[in-house]
Amino acid sequence: MAREVEVLSSRARVARALLGTYATLIYVFLFGPIVLLVLFSFNANRYGTFPITGWTFTWYRQAFSDYQVHDAVVTTLKVAAWVTVISTVVGTAAAFPLVRSRLPFREGIRIIFILPIMIPGLLIGVSLLVLFVSTLHWQLGLRTVVIGQSVYTTPFVILLVAARLQGFDNALERAAADLGANTFQRLRRIVLPLILPAIIAGGLFAFTLSLDEFIITYFLIGGHNTLPIFIYTQVKFGITPEVNAVATMLLGASLTLLGLAFALPQVVRRARRLVLRTRTA
Amino acid sequence: MTATVATAPRRHRVLRIGDSLAAYVGFVPAMILLGLFFLVPLGIIVCYSFWETIDYSVVHHWTFDNYHYFFSVTAYVSTMWATLWVAVVATVLAIVLAFPFAYWLSRYVPRRLRTPLLVLVIVPFWSSYLLRVYSWLTILGEKGVFNWVLQKVGITNHPLGVFLYDRPAVILVLVYLYFPFGALTLYSSIERFDWNQLRAAMDLGASPLQAIFRILVPQIRPGVTTAVIFVFIPILGEYLTPQIVGGTGGVMIGNLIANFFQEAEYTRGAAASLLVAVFILVLLVIFRKSLSSKEAYGA
Repeated sequence: MAREVEVLSSRARVARALLGTYATLIYVFLFGPIVLLVLFSFNANRYGTFPITGWTFTWYRQAFSDYQVHDAVVTTLKVAAWVTVISTVVGTAAAFPLVRSRLPFREGIRIIFILPIMIPGLLIGVSLLVLFVSTLHWQLGLRTVVIGQSVYTTPFVILLVAARLQGFDNALERAAADLGANTFQRLRRIVLPLILPAIIAGGLFAFTLSLDEFIITYFLIGGHNTLPIFIYTQVKFGITPEVNAVATMLLGASLTLLGLAFALPQVVRRARRLVLRTRTA
Repeated sequence: MTATVATAPRRHRVLRIGDSLAAYVGFVPAMILLGLFFLVPLGIIVCYSFWETIDYSVVHHWTFDNYHYFFSVTAYVSTMWATLWVAVVATVLAIVLAFPFAYWLSRYVPRRLRTPLLVLVIVPFWSSYLLRVYSWLTILGEKGVFNWVLQKVGITNHPLGVFLYDRPAVILVLVYLYFPFGALTLYSSIERFDWNQLRAAMDLGASPLQAIFRILVPQIRPGVTTAVIFVFIPILGEYLTPQIVGGTGGVMIGNLIANFFQEAEYTRGAAASLLVAVFILVLLVIFRKSLSSKEAYGA
């Protein structure tokens, strides 16, 4: 009996070692390409690949002085700012009735809100292209890109804010009503402060999605460039270390923003608890 | 106590009325945005796919010509099948690779480390999609890491072009792109599974395979279904991956659609788009249950 247990546990140990190795390989697989990209952006080798011939900031300097990169950064930020504002406002407004009302077609409306996430961006891009070019006869440009990206980012904000609203304790609002607060006051003083972290997280999320968005932008941007479009057009001529540098910066920006988006609600909650504690003390 | 119970519903209703008024107002901006710029364009695509292009202008004349044309060109039809094939292979690979990982995470990792390790898997998923595809060029390309290693080791003395520009490269990158989602959804269902049930089944005389298929599989099926939806469906509309690493050998239907629209062949492109869109909608309807409201907000 004792031997059997020992045999089992040694087999379990082998399984643990094998699976552990496997998981490590998975992480290498997931992060290897990204790490290499970052590595090559600091590599003196002008082919942007192995071998590593020395460390340098040359490619970053080159990228910063490239007027095309400069233009692309400005365009990307402009578009992202607009997309963030639109999708945060529109998404937050839509999340309320989605969670709270008993509208007859709520389920159908919810499906329409989730569809832009499920339908490939390619189809959103080409269908908007037809709308703008053939039906509305609009000039392609930043305006059309902002609209196209907002279609795609707003549903994410709706989902984030709706998730927060679902976990919302309605008793708080009822208590405020009992104490004489009207609808506007309840919204302003009770609901908004409590869901603000989710709204900000949604905004940051929309901003990040916009920074990285490629396919919808590709069809709707006309003559301009955002950073992803710039990188894509450069890739056609082969990899250069300068593109690696631009890519690394874009990657850094989106990871930082995402980290903020996920960490923020917790930070706010903790800060608020701290403030409450000092007030009561 | 009785008094509270009696008055609560009424006050509740008073709140509801104010809320439902606000409700319609809240929906308006989203309805304008998504109605005008999502539903209307899709409607236009539907119409275009049944209209004719004569001398570079679209004529509102109903016809099946665009679909006939699509299915009459062998290259298009074979690309369509290839897309399905690539999507199936990549989805299966992503889920098969994710299973041992999810098992490891839920069985062998201390509880407090699980969430950080899971987040670590998802981080690449939310970081730039273009850059993740692009990063494979530095590995698979002619001057890439694979060729460099092979030349260093002495297996070959000239760069091989075999890694890039074909279907295997496309499948590899797609698995790389969508693995995180497979891992995430599988983990959440495997974590809930009680592994003692397997032992119990085998104690009662089931063979290991029987135990797995009668006990484990039914319980993790919702997770697998969700993984299939969120991996398989996006792959059907892939454009960038085949475009960057696929070359002429790795073309998928997304590239066909993009080409049609770039050459302003709107009606033919619309037909190809609608084929994909309808297929996806059918899949969504079939798997509707796994997308029910319970999981819908679990972003």
